[in-house]
Amino acid sequence: MKFILKTFLKYYLKTITKIVLFIHKPVVIAVAGSTNKSFVKKEVKRRLEEAGFTVRANPKNFNTEIGLPLSILYLPSGYNEYKKWIPAILKAPLKIFQKKFPDFLVLSLGSSDKGDMRYLLSIIKPDISIITNITQRYKEGFSDMNNLVDEYQVLAKKTRKEGVLVLNIDNYRVREVGEGKKQKILYYGKEKEADIYISKIEKNKKGQKVSIKQQGRKKDYQINKFGEHHAYAFAVGLAVKKVGRPGR
Amino acid sequence: MGFMFERVKDIKLSTIKEIELRASKYPDAVSLAQGIPDFDTPDFIKRRVERALKRGVVAKYSLSPGLPELRELIEESLEKENMFYDWEKEILVTAGSIQGITATIMAITNPGDEVIIPEPTYTSYQEVIKLAGCKPVFVPLNEEEGWSFDIEKYKKVITKKTKAIFYCNPNNPTGTIYSKKQLLELAELAEKHNLFLISDEVYKDFIYDEKEFFSLAELPELRKRVIRIFSFSKAFAMTGWRVAYLHSDEENIREIIKVHDSLVTCAPVISQYGAMGALEIGEEKINEFRERYKKRRDMMCERIEKLNSVFSFVKPDSSYYIFPKINPEAVDIKKKKKVVDSREFAFWLLEKSQVAVVPGVAFGPNGEGHIRLSFGRREEDILEVFNRLEKLFL
Repeated sequence: MKFILKTFLKYYLKTITKIVLFIHKPVVIAVAGSTNKSFVKKEVKRRLEEAGFTVRANPKNFNTEIGLPLSILYLPSGYNEYKKWIPAILKAPLKIFQKKFPDFLVLSLGSSDKGDMRYLLSIIKPDISIITNITQRYKEGFSDMNNLVDEYQVLAKKTRKEGVLVLNIDNYRVREVGEGKKQKILYYGKEKEADIYISKIEKNKKGQKVSIKQQGRKKDYQINKFGEHHAYAFAVGLAVKKVGRPGR
Repeated sequence: MGFMFERVKDIKLSTIKEIELRASKYPDAVSLAQGIPDFDTPDFIKRRVERALKRGVVAKYSLSPGLPELRELIEESLEKENMFYDWEKEILVTAGSIQGITATIMAITNPGDEVIIPEPTYTSYQEVIKLAGCKPVFVPLNEEEGWSFDIEKYKKVITKKTKAIFYCNPNNPTGTIYSKKQLLELAELAEKHNLFLISDEVYKDFIYDEKEFFSLAELPELRKRVIRIFSFSKAFAMTGWRVAYLHSDEENIREIIKVHDSLVTCAPVISQYGAMGALEIGEEKINEFRERYKKRRDMMCERIEKLNSVFSFVKPDSSYYIFPKINPEAVDIKKKKKVVDSREFAFWLLEKSQVAVVPGVAFGPNGEGHIRLSFGRREEDILEVFNRLEKLFL
């Protein structure tokens, strides 16, 4: 019973989501990586909202085959209770006729087994794809690291040709993903070659002062949070701000 | 054998466990003693763990500070409460809060140091301090002022050996929430005397009547001074899972993790997955638990009021305990004393009516003359206990 319901939900929600995306055509930003997806997603959302766009992002664990469509359609999960799925099932088709739809979707994508990414990318086609880093985390579902990296290769390949890849230059596995890709690539990180170059991070009482160089110009920012990952998330936010709505 | 067990010679097994043990020998005993939520761990947490088991990811150690994905979730949940800590360097997942407390005390003190504890408070604090070769210094809370801090009392006990002030907020067993003003005064004192502030906040999710709660860990200027502890045990009915966390500035965590690693290597990985489930979708469940505890608190207060010739009490704003004072005139034992011997009273009560409660003295000298009743237990048990008490006293 559970398997039948799950399979039904999976394809039902996927179909409706695809129709909704076809009609409303929001800019889709995919965020993938072993860590820091959530903070990057929040920072990107904040940046875009600051620029006056309407944005919808998926909640923390809504990044899988059922969670992702639910987030896009802005529907609640019924988790393991059959009855609780009824409102989501009934409301889903109404989303097709929704008048206002966000300008941007910022969606983190979860991949814990081979093929997960390909399935998620059969629902969405990202305009911008961000890869935060690739580490051994979540490696257990893959035979080796190359197989895990392949998931991110799929993401890069499935990103729109006129789209942009935003990649962490400091992680060599992420850099690998950028090699030979047709899309525009923006690198961020602590390597000097990065387009958004984090030249200095200084911890202070309120958080950290981050120096970022872009096109030869350096600017200092105060981030009232602790941890380098916030400096990286901030750099991604700047990259997305720079890109805006690629090819639109 | 006299030379052996030197370190533990002054350590006592918790009175709470002693009472529970004694109660287990009475066939019809009903217990409101140990602070265990009667709810089972929510299903979504179990499912998260089942998934982890099926994926074969729970058999190995995690990194010593905990699973990265859990620590990221913890950082996010702290952000919602206006606390900003780096999951990579400033958050440490522990095997229950008491293990985190032990690691903290061992790391920040040297033998012979003193640690101030406002009391009555959680029984195990003093034992951990003694285990570290330090001295617990008690500062009584002010019952007349709703069990609040009296800052002047702290000033009097600070010596050159004082290393930390260690408090539970909301407090167990009194259910008191310390006000922002009181906490800031404490922080000022800690700054002046270069002390650590250890804040155990395991009951912060069970606050009733929309009372305000403030944590000193919210203030970035105090992050090197404050070590905050939180546990999944109470909030998500996970006492048996033994999973909690602490956070502070990286300078402190760097030292505490050395003790943590030597004590347990890492928190149980299976429980860390449970904790992830709790943080991913647990908020709704906490609200449900809170509502049910509030109902039980009100019910318990109503029943104690009927026994006002025997007990007087301060209505708790939080946690799931009530800490009534026993009127020495009303009970049969030791009428001549001004304060009832709470230990004697608790064992007498168990003997007379098979009701298990915790003697107040277990929570510090200022707890003498009181008992602790837990409304974390089943409603039926609470009702039965008060039926028996009314039969005994009215």
